[in-house]
Amino acid sequence: MLATIPSEDHVGGQQPETSAAEATTPRVLLILAAILERLVTRNDPLIEHNGRNNLIHYVSPRPLAAGELGMSLKVFNGVRAPNISIAKYLERLFKYTNCSPSCFVVGYVYIDRLVHKHPELLVISLNVHRLLLTSVMIASKMLDDVQYNNAFYAKVGGVSNSELNRLELELLFLLNFEVTVSSPIFQSYCWYLEKEDLRIGSTLKRVQQPLAFDIKDDVNGI
Amino acid sequence: MAVAAPGQLNLHESPTWGSRSVDCFQKLEQIGEGTYGQVFMAKEIETGEIVALKKIRMDNEKEGFPITAIREIKILKKLHHENVIQLKEIVTSPGPEKDEQGRPDGNKYKGGIYMVFEYMDHDLTGLADRPGMRFSVPQIKCYMRQLLTGLHYCHVNQVLHRDIKGSNLLIDNEGMLKLADFGLARSFSSDHNGNLTNRVITLWYRPPELLLGSTKYGPAVDMWSVGCIFAELLHGKPVFPGKDEPEQINKIFELCGAPDEANWPGVTKLPWYTNFKPNRPMKRRLREYFRHFDRHALELLERMLTLDPAQRISAKDALDAEYFWADPLPCDPKSLPKYEASHEFQTKKKRQQQRQHEEAAKRQKLQHPPPHSRLPPIQQSGQSHGQMRPGPNQPMHGSHSSVPAGPGHHYGKPRGPSAGGPNRYSQSGNPSGGYSHPNRASQGGGGGGYGNAPYPQQGRVPPYGSSGPRGSGASGYGAGAPNFQQGGPYGGSGTGRGSNMNRNQQQYGWQQ
Repeated sequence: MLATIPSEDHVGGQQPETSAAEATTPRVLLILAAILERLVTRNDPLIEHNGRNNLIHYVSPRPLAAGELGMSLKVFNGVRAPNISIAKYLERLFKYTNCSPSCFVVGYVYIDRLVHKHPELLVISLNVHRLLLTSVMIASKMLDDVQYNNAFYAKVGGVSNSELNRLELELLFLLNFEVTVSSPIFQSYCWYLEKEDLRIGSTLKRVQQPLAFDIKDDVNGI
Repeated sequence: MAVAAPGQLNLHESPTWGSRSVDCFQKLEQIGEGTYGQVFMAKEIETGEIVALKKIRMDNEKEGFPITAIREIKILKKLHHENVIQLKEIVTSPGPEKDEQGRPDGNKYKGGIYMVFEYMDHDLTGLADRPGMRFSVPQIKCYMRQLLTGLHYCHVNQVLHRDIKGSNLLIDNEGMLKLADFGLARSFSSDHNGNLTNRVITLWYRPPELLLGSTKYGPAVDMWSVGCIFAELLHGKPVFPGKDEPEQINKIFELCGAPDEANWPGVTKLPWYTNFKPNRPMKRRLREYFRHFDRHALELLERMLTLDPAQRISAKDALDAEYFWADPLPCDPKSLPKYEASHEFQTKKKRQQQRQHEEAAKRQKLQHPPPHSRLPPIQQSGQSHGQMRPGPNQPMHGSHSSVPAGPGHHYGKPRGPSAGGPNRYSQSGNPSGGYSHPNRASQGGGGGGYGNAPYPQQGRVPPYGSSGPRGSGASGYGAGAPNFQQGGPYGGSGTGRGSNMNRNQQQYGWQQ
């Protein structure tokens, strides 16, 4: 389905200042992390402002019926924000689940679709990790012929198996099962990510390289 | 995060699925049971419309929402055609919302998700197996044309069905044929050279390129299956009923000849070519074998059962074949005879109960002859035999409305075993236990099997290849083990992908 898949290959060790982990982490993960970090930073104050109890239904246009699937992001919220950065979390998912980098792009497409479909739902630091875990897992189920099961993803992601199953269902219903990502759409997201990379990267005065082949650059400084 | 330009997101407004409860439907009767779970005929209370409810089995916690179900849903969502089964919506069943501590219960949705399909009365295998059934030529042409039209639509939309067989072709009493069961289907694109699993398609309908290990394939795989069905309709029985992969490929070679670089360029480079290479020359004798078929039918069949997938006819070209434009023309679906709807699931259950009665009666007769020798025993506690009620309304074990014998229903058929390894037939993988094997078909019974024993032609449900084209997904996922899809697309085997889980698995302390 995906005609263009970010390359998994990486050449490590050419830049002595990058650590081994960074050298083997596809750059797409770092770009995603930066984008989501920015989004969360923007959204968090909205929540704070509105008081903790209302968390997600900040501008919810309709009352939420209890028990309805696909109506709120509440189940994705933790009690407090995990103390692992988005970048490290993505890196961890990539390292252990071994899913293809394109799963992260598609996972991002799901999150983007989610916020388009439900503008009232905010991605914040309390839910971004669970959203990522769930969307990457679903993407992997869609894309990879070989993948780990939910139990494994739950362990890697630091949630219980039953919780992850619940999150999976919630996300599928929130997306209305629109989990198909066509080649052109995948491509358009890749371009977007590359563009973001340029924007983010410009402050670092990095040499531009195509997204798919350059995973060495360190954008942690953003 | 605005990324996609308007219209690029593939998002169209449709009623949000999952917002309705299964309580909007009144279950009428169970009409099938498969890997996913049970299938019910139901009536939508508000409209009175009859639908089929397919319950998605959610009892494998490790696996989560079944991959086959997600894939089927997402593919059916984008397919809208009169010859493709319509997925109307997804409904949930309300369950306990919270556990005792008032926290969301993780198992809340266990078994509580249903796919709502339009209701269909029969499937092609069930219909063909009706005692005394003979399809007329215009009828066969009518079904074949609908099959090809539906498949052409799928292929145009870049969907491979990958499990075309009679029991997946549903037929209603308006004579409409619809492709169903997209659990193995996947999208493809012509510019995509990715590897696809070759463990798909029920063995009897599996094309030679998959049997020879090809992982780069396209719509031609479905066309081979169509050819098998076409031949079966004309011939009256399956044409390649192999019991395992070597036998399967041998049966194909016997009829279609052995492949070589001349008739199939590149075949010698296929992974398993040398394993299956016949040690004697084999000539194509399709024409000779089916010489009683009419000329146009044979011509079309020749082009469908072409060994080289590149030369095999496409659905589009097949629709243009002389066969469909020569007398007798395909009939109008509406003109086809209407058959009494029936559900083999029940027919079979009933038959089984009858058998049990007979056996029990025999036993009882030996022990203490009942007053009325034709009476079945009643296994009701606290009742003496003398209390058996004679007469026509003698209770059966669980009374059943009478169900006419006839075609079966295959909304949710039993699937192949969890592919754990070769020759592992459904020992644990298939919850319905209804997976049938030709060698076992004669044993009958054994749970909710479909389309086999009851009819004279036994073993109509072909076996799955020794590697199991479909893991049922119900087992085979070891704790923390990778879900390895290669052996049977969804079957788990514990190997592959180094298990990193044993090391460095600290959990983050942020779960609730």
